[in-house]
Amino acid sequence: MFEEASEVLENMLKCSFPLSLVLFLVLVCPLRAEAAHEFSVYRMQQYDLQGQTYGSRNAILNTEARTVEAEVLSRRCVMVRLADFSYEKYQRALRQSAGAVVIILPQNMSTVPQDMVQQFMELEPELLATETIVPVYFALEDEELLSIYTQTQISSSSQGASSAAEVLLHTATANGFQMVTSGAQSKAVSDWAITSLEGRLTGSGGEDLPTIVLVAHYDSFGVAPWLSYGADSNGSGVAVLLELARLFSRLYSYKRTHAGYNLLFFLSGGGKFNYQGTKRWLEDNLDHTDSSLLQDNVAFVLCLDTLGNSDNLHLHVSKPPKEGSPQHALLKELETVSVQQHPDLKFSMVHKKINLADDTLAWEHERFGIRRLPAFTLSHLESHRSPARHSIMDMRPHVDLTKLSRNTKVIAEALARVIYNLTDKGVGGDVQIFTEQMQVQEDQLESLVDWLTAQPRAAQLLDKDSSIVNTLEYYLNRYLKDVKRHLVRADKRDPEFVFYDQLKQTMNAYRVKPAIFDLLLAVCIASYLGVLYLAVQNFGLLYGFLRRVTAPRVKQH
Amino acid sequence: MTLFHFGNCVSLAYFPYFITYKCSGLSEYNAFWRCVQAGATYLFVQLCKMLFLATFFPTWEGAVGVYDFVGEFMKATVDLADLLGLHLVMSRNAGKGEYKIMVAAMGWATAELIMSRCIPFWVGARGIEFDWKYIQMSFDSNISLVHYIAMAAVVWMFTRYDLPKSFRLPVTILLGLCVYKGFLMELFVHVFLLGSWTALLVKAVLTGAISLCSLFLFVTLVHSN
Repeated sequence: MFEEASEVLENMLKCSFPLSLVLFLVLVCPLRAEAAHEFSVYRMQQYDLQGQTYGSRNAILNTEARTVEAEVLSRRCVMVRLADFSYEKYQRALRQSAGAVVIILPQNMSTVPQDMVQQFMELEPELLATETIVPVYFALEDEELLSIYTQTQISSSSQGASSAAEVLLHTATANGFQMVTSGAQSKAVSDWAITSLEGRLTGSGGEDLPTIVLVAHYDSFGVAPWLSYGADSNGSGVAVLLELARLFSRLYSYKRTHAGYNLLFFLSGGGKFNYQGTKRWLEDNLDHTDSSLLQDNVAFVLCLDTLGNSDNLHLHVSKPPKEGSPQHALLKELETVSVQQHPDLKFSMVHKKINLADDTLAWEHERFGIRRLPAFTLSHLESHRSPARHSIMDMRPHVDLTKLSRNTKVIAEALARVIYNLTDKGVGGDVQIFTEQMQVQEDQLESLVDWLTAQPRAAQLLDKDSSIVNTLEYYLNRYLKDVKRHLVRADKRDPEFVFYDQLKQTMNAYRVKPAIFDLLLAVCIASYLGVLYLAVQNFGLLYGFLRRVTAPRVKQH
Repeated sequence: MTLFHFGNCVSLAYFPYFITYKCSGLSEYNAFWRCVQAGATYLFVQLCKMLFLATFFPTWEGAVGVYDFVGEFMKATVDLADLLGLHLVMSRNAGKGEYKIMVAAMGWATAELIMSRCIPFWVGARGIEFDWKYIQMSFDSNISLVHYIAMAAVVWMFTRYDLPKSFRLPVTILLGLCVYKGFLMELFVHVFLLGSWTALLVKAVLTGAISLCSLFLFVTLVHSN
């Protein structure tokens, strides 16, 4: 058989050498196989702000999995569960130049205990501050991922322990996992447009009316862009602004209640990246246009940031308001309303000077303050450094609807008292305007917050065609006039912000066996074949035995 | 090392065939082309079976997980065509009984090996992901070799005119077992929920039993004359 087969092969090789070369190449080429498990992973933030780089620089990985207990972490994918995560372990992985870090978050984040949430929220800015080339991913846990994690943990923790024979047996039979991402390396997104929306309600009574500006930024921030839902910060602010738009547009539609103030509503984008939307809007309105509402008589600018919880309300100012100014009037009205109508609410003013030496500005009103417009920010948070403003743990359960609607009412009442000048007209502080048909609709607020927190709203994910921007524009169009979009693109030569892509990937976990295992298997197969050869050679013995067994029977016949 | 694993699986599957071919003395009879002819007959028979199954058997529309006993039984009955094919091959070869049986069985089993195992090995065993099923497939092909030799022997015995009356019944039973072996195996797996290695073991034991019985009958038949 061999001679005939070899003749055929020889002929084939003589006349078709390229064919055999192609065959060889086909033989060697890599193959895409079915994975043990495929799951979505979300990458840590990567962005440049004002020339400073933040976050994880790398996106691709093709490494073996280990957990933190293993001794050797270099060039391995380190898998950690949220419960075991700590900054020291993270630093250790980075020091040993691990191939990647994958942090496994529980499927239902609201089941995480409060102290762990707090601890993680405080870690997030530290994670982002250290710029690293190690790709850091977050994954949501499911059963298969958990089983992969437990198996990896068992094999990682038993590495240092036992005798040589056990180690050999273990390395030969262990079930390793190879983690591979399918995407490409991350690169900067060119020409990203941050969209902001504005709309207005014009006051009655001719030209040169004072303008009140209400601002809220609609994007969210967290250590992983695809997991930043930003419920309280700043979904609550957006919901309050939209509800105020609805209420005041209703008031302005009746001639008797049409006040003598212009109301300008602004939903800014890129708020978490040092208020890029607001900055460019101000530049365009004050420097590049001839006439704009912002250039003339601005009474004050009220920024809404994180109003969805707690019984505190702080008015952050960069300069204490002067007596007799509209700013001061609003401050007084807010105090009056909170004291007389909502005694459980604690209202106070927080004074913080603008510090231009800082990397980023503290609150949104500081952007207006720099351009000499009177502005303040209303928030239930006392400090701008509060971790709740930049966390992926900020999800829907963080917003308490009763408190949100109470805060909305307080703001609406105070604004109305300023606009209609009610204190001077002698209307008592306990008289409520927004009741019955004009009341703050809690289910409206609820549906807004639910919709806003249903998808991640990181600035890198919302381009000008995104559904969130379109829906916000549609909503504003229902109640306000002159709704306009305002786009911000980074400057080409000296960009203020640069975003990177590859923020969401599919990771495959392949079950692999170590190389020694293949050798062991080859040895076993060789011995099996040896035994088989001997058996076939000695088949005659069995035949003879059976013949002897049957022969007497024949003789008896 | 995945190419290595592919090599492991292929050698485990193919080498027993090679050993059997060499050591059974077939190479002395220049039986290579006759085996290839037997393989071609195998292809033809499988094609006919597939056409028949596709035309006359409806697709199973019942619940997932429920095993369609009757349907699978009917489908296994179509495997009787295998017996006809083996008989056809053996009747075209002149020679002693053992020669005919071995040629037919070797050709048939090798064709089945190439057709049904090469592509899974190529596609699956070469990938990054490791799975025990490829080694199991190689063992399965070894078992199939023994099974086809036994089946060819039983078919040969069935068609002998000088078969004693007392042998008719056991030969027929063995024949039936050979044809329905696949169906029986699936039945066992579903009813007893066997693991893959256990199922392989049961299959090996079953095939061993069938082949021992057929060998016993063969020896008795050949040496009683």
